[in-house]
Amino acid sequence: MNIVTIPLRNIRRKPSKVILLLLVFSLGIMSIVSLYLVSQVVGHNLEKKLISFGANIVVAPAAETLSVSYGGFHMGDMLYNIQELPEEQTTGAIRSIALQDRISVVAPKLVTMTTIDGKAIALVGVRWEQERGIKSYWATEGRFPVGVDEILIGRQVAEHLALATGSQAQILGHNFTVSGTLHETGGDDDSVVFMDIGLLQELLGRPGATSFIEVSALCAGCPIEDIVAQISTNLPNTSVKALQHVVNQRMASVHYVQKLAFLISMVILVTAAAMVGLSMLSAVNERKKDIGILRSLGYAKSRVFLIFCLEAAMIGALAGAIGYLGGFGLSFKALELLSMAEGARPIFSIGQLALTSLVFAAIAVGAALYPSWKGATVEPSSALVSL
Amino acid sequence: MLSAENISKKYHLDGREISVLKGVSVDIAEGEFLSIMGKSGSGKTTLLNILSTLVRADGGELRYLQNDLRQISEKQLNHIRRADFSVIFQFHYLLPYLTVMENTLLPFMSSLRPVSREIEQRALHCLDRVGLADKHDRLPGNLSGGEQQRVAIARALVKSSRVLFADEPTGSLDKATGEQIMELLGELNGEGLTVVMVTHEPVYAALAERIVHIEDGKVVH
Repeated sequence: MNIVTIPLRNIRRKPSKVILLLLVFSLGIMSIVSLYLVSQVVGHNLEKKLISFGANIVVAPAAETLSVSYGGFHMGDMLYNIQELPEEQTTGAIRSIALQDRISVVAPKLVTMTTIDGKAIALVGVRWEQERGIKSYWATEGRFPVGVDEILIGRQVAEHLALATGSQAQILGHNFTVSGTLHETGGDDDSVVFMDIGLLQELLGRPGATSFIEVSALCAGCPIEDIVAQISTNLPNTSVKALQHVVNQRMASVHYVQKLAFLISMVILVTAAAMVGLSMLSAVNERKKDIGILRSLGYAKSRVFLIFCLEAAMIGALAGAIGYLGGFGLSFKALELLSMAEGARPIFSIGQLALTSLVFAAIAVGAALYPSWKGATVEPSSALVSL
Repeated sequence: MLSAENISKKYHLDGREISVLKGVSVDIAEGEFLSIMGKSGSGKTTLLNILSTLVRADGGELRYLQNDLRQISEKQLNHIRRADFSVIFQFHYLLPYLTVMENTLLPFMSSLRPVSREIEQRALHCLDRVGLADKHDRLPGNLSGGEQQRVAIARALVKSSRVLFADEPTGSLDKATGEQIMELLGELNGEGLTVVMVTHEPVYAALAERIVHIEDGKVVH
């Protein structure tokens, strides 16, 4: 028996009132927890989907520039000492960083200039599986190449060279079939020819070579700068750059979802906390006699304050635990209704359960601070005379 | 032991100022049984509440063991209420959601430290003294008025209080039960407990060593 006994026993005094308060508070917490879990899953899924709309990191060989001018004419900056990136080694280095679970797609590229029917074109060798992972916005007339002897051409190339799906073309002495033509993208892809990188490396006599590598990384939960820094550490003498505009656009979408969930949660939280506060205020008024008895027995104001705070903490902790369990269950249903699950599931955590109980115990105490202070400052005589 | 000198107290009611006590002086010796009598509204309960420190006087001096109670800190006041003073009331004395045992131990439950076995045993002994040891696990709602009053007295005993203030302790009890309570108070006073009791019953007041009459906020002899 100690001071904790008093609020514990009081809770059983009016069980229906306590159950009702617990129910309301738990429902609020359940909503908050399920919103949080759903927004985490949705945010993660959303980011994964957005990855298919382009890379957000580019890894390129370090190159030096030389500003050239002669006879009063400035000829511009020229790149020299350009190195190639060995594909296997570079890809392996990217995938082995500490934040490797954040690396979604690594898409190597080998770029060269050549001619088709005497006309100069840019040729880009790609790994088709990875390339499709970051170019889901590509719309094709025809289909993606399946065999190494097939190529995909940009809209402008098709018009310039009068090629179409099914056309034959000879590139670097090898015969290719156009499997598909890209619809206009408005970007660099319109003016290049895409082919299998392995065959291109063979035809150019540059086995394993890449010109640069595009990386799609998941940014939620850690800044992209960390990923860039880790890749740079693994690949000294390379240029590793984050495409900030791409990063910002994606994160804006993900954050929108999470901010909306947060806002709604705050509204629910404030409402629930207000309910607890009002309930405690009502309890103080009802228990003025009890306060009078305690004060007449020598209980300090701080002890009376503690008793009411303990009661609020107990209700908050219990509601937190019930709310977390309920919210966890509800999140599955919510994801199912939103059709956003796609294999991703909220993960139960004892740590989160304990933290939720603790946080909502603290919130309940916060809501009960004013009523508890009000109760503690009641003078014993006025409390006893009140009846 | 406890002395009140020129005590005054006013209340404000409906915009009017009502003087309840007008310069009351009382001295209480250790081990004394003092009754305070008066008609309803005479100020006797207010005087008791001031003597027991539940109410602060507006004027005058209140001394306990030579210490001026108006000058001491809240902490020291709480210590006196906890250790030396006990109060029993006409109606409200027990917390309805605590058992008889828990109500008896209430003065010792103000911290996180659990009540010791020794004090629990002492409480059981005191409940036995007032004839309620076999009802230690009951809630107050399951006790009669007299039994509830005896629990309050047991609580005073466990604390080893030096002064027991009783405000109309038999007011809500039948005659037989009232007599039992008065008998118990008499026994405890005989064992050295100082008792200050407010009553409007001359029969019970006469059991005290001394009677102080209050009329219109003043002591009359």
